[in-house]
Amino acid sequence: MKDPLIVLDQVQKYYDDYHALRGISCEIGKGEFFSLLGPSGCGKTTLLRTIAGFEDVSSGRVLIGGRDMADVPANLRPTNMVFQSYAIFPHLDVAGNVGFGLRKRSDLSAEQKKAKVIEALEMVGLAGYGKRPAHALSGGQRQRVALARALVLEPEVLLLDEPLSALDKKMREQMQTELRRLQRHVGITFILVTHDQEEALIMSDRIAVMFEGEIAQLAAPQTLYRRPASRKVAEFIGVMNFLSATSTVSGDSVALDIAGLGKVTLSTEQCPGGAPSGAAVAGLRPETLSVVIDDATATPSHSVTGKVVEVVYYGDMTYYEVALDGAQKPVTISMKNLPGRRVLEIGDTAKVAWDPSALVIFAA
Amino acid sequence: MKQGTGLRIYAIAYLIFLYLPVALLPIFAFNDGTVIAFPLQGFTTKWFVELLSIDALHGAVRNSLFVAITTAILSTIFGIFAARASSRYRFPLKGGILGLIMVPLVLPEIIVGVALLVMVVSLMGLSLSLWTVVLGHTLICTPFAVAILSASFNGLDRSLEEAAIDLGETAMGAFFKVTLPLVTPGIVSALLISFTISLDEFIIAFFLTGSEPTLPVYLWGQLRFPQRIPVVMALGTILVILSLVLLTVAEFFRRRGVRRTGAKDTGGFL
Repeated sequence: MKDPLIVLDQVQKYYDDYHALRGISCEIGKGEFFSLLGPSGCGKTTLLRTIAGFEDVSSGRVLIGGRDMADVPANLRPTNMVFQSYAIFPHLDVAGNVGFGLRKRSDLSAEQKKAKVIEALEMVGLAGYGKRPAHALSGGQRQRVALARALVLEPEVLLLDEPLSALDKKMREQMQTELRRLQRHVGITFILVTHDQEEALIMSDRIAVMFEGEIAQLAAPQTLYRRPASRKVAEFIGVMNFLSATSTVSGDSVALDIAGLGKVTLSTEQCPGGAPSGAAVAGLRPETLSVVIDDATATPSHSVTGKVVEVVYYGDMTYYEVALDGAQKPVTISMKNLPGRRVLEIGDTAKVAWDPSALVIFAA
Repeated sequence: MKQGTGLRIYAIAYLIFLYLPVALLPIFAFNDGTVIAFPLQGFTTKWFVELLSIDALHGAVRNSLFVAITTAILSTIFGIFAARASSRYRFPLKGGILGLIMVPLVLPEIIVGVALLVMVVSLMGLSLSLWTVVLGHTLICTPFAVAILSASFNGLDRSLEEAAIDLGETAMGAFFKVTLPLVTPGIVSALLISFTISLDEFIIAFFLTGSEPTLPVYLWGQLRFPQRIPVVMALGTILVILSLVLLTVAEFFRRRGVRRTGAKDTGGFL
């Protein structure tokens, strides 16, 4: 990356015997929406707090804007944080909360500070809420106040620690798009910590998937979804069918014999974690498979037959579990419910079409 | 019989037993007679008037106020230190140390009084004064202050201080601008409770006062003179009212604190 804003260089963190961060290295660009995604306990919040300055690194370096942050305390870093609990000061009103960080700014007059607070509240959709006491705010409003309070200081980096986890589903979805829009509008770097893979996919430019204190994969959402680097990443992000296979590598191509699908030859590009020899696992997303229903004219290039063992109807989609001939486990297939398209029933025989280019191959 | 009648009778009897003696204080304080007995002799306020003319009593009130105010301030400061440390940090032997701080709460006061007397006079060679009373009272009031303030500090979200630091404050600034305003109701409450306890306390004060008695010690001395008993009743009436007022104010501040931090009320002294 040319001219990154944040550089993490072999960051390690120990709590007594517990190795929380095991050598994290990555670069985060200016104006990037970057997410740290992983299950609880994977070290994502620790890493965020390390960038904020609330945790010291045991070894390694954190650089922001080319400057080593080792001796820079949290209050002097060009970062601001939106806390999981929002940490709204209960003894202050909304304007008091948003203006808290401005109080120390001697370069601004009282009028300028007031104007900045009003502007920040407008930006998060809380115009006119300045006099509202903190305890009279709803969850969504508290979150907006926390955002305004951080953004009013114009930090180089905004850190967000699971900011949407306390909101209900509808509010969360609304805030996801709103946060994304806000980030594009202010143009500063956002680093989001989340355990919700969907949220990370929706909002991020790039995502670092973390397991047990390490980055398992760092990639753009599409790459992460289509070409997960390991079976573990694939399992964490979305749904994927795994079929056992045997593979023979020769040069740039991999010859595979996949249980239930048959023989196929792929490019090694479809093995993001490296081309395995011998026992392998072939991964396929549910939407890359399709059930051929009442369509005599369809002649898919690759198809197999199977038996429908489960049907789940979602309204817009139907999810089928189909036992393929020769495969140990049924595969999950998602189908759009287009007008006139029939829904199969349990026990029906199904013709399943698949696309070799959608396959991802992992070592077994 | 209606359901719960037995329990209701019990509750009423309980309250009568608890408060009848206290209710007798104002009755005899306004009774026109030196003998504490029924039937009453008629209404008078002369005992209250007589209070004004006893110089030794005024001295005792001044002594008690000095001791109570000093004790309240010291106990609350110690309470803030202990409560913040216990709510924020983990350190070796934390449970044991906090336990030792709370022990005077259940230690018989006569033991504390005698032990302090031995230590102050025999071992340290100091003479008894109001400061030795302050010493003893601070010892027994600090646990109350710690208990009240721990509730205040524990009710605070840890990330509030971090948020203040994140927004540019130093650790000290965050404490004064965020933590302290939020625990102020607890501090006021701790001050008032310590003040009330110290003002009423007799046993420790009895052992540790020198030539300047506190009010309870003075009152004890007056009980030897039967003609002074109605005056003591009048003074007692004033003290009861004062205690009730202080306790109410303390509880008011505690509840306001709970509301302000948006926490759930987990019960206090009232």
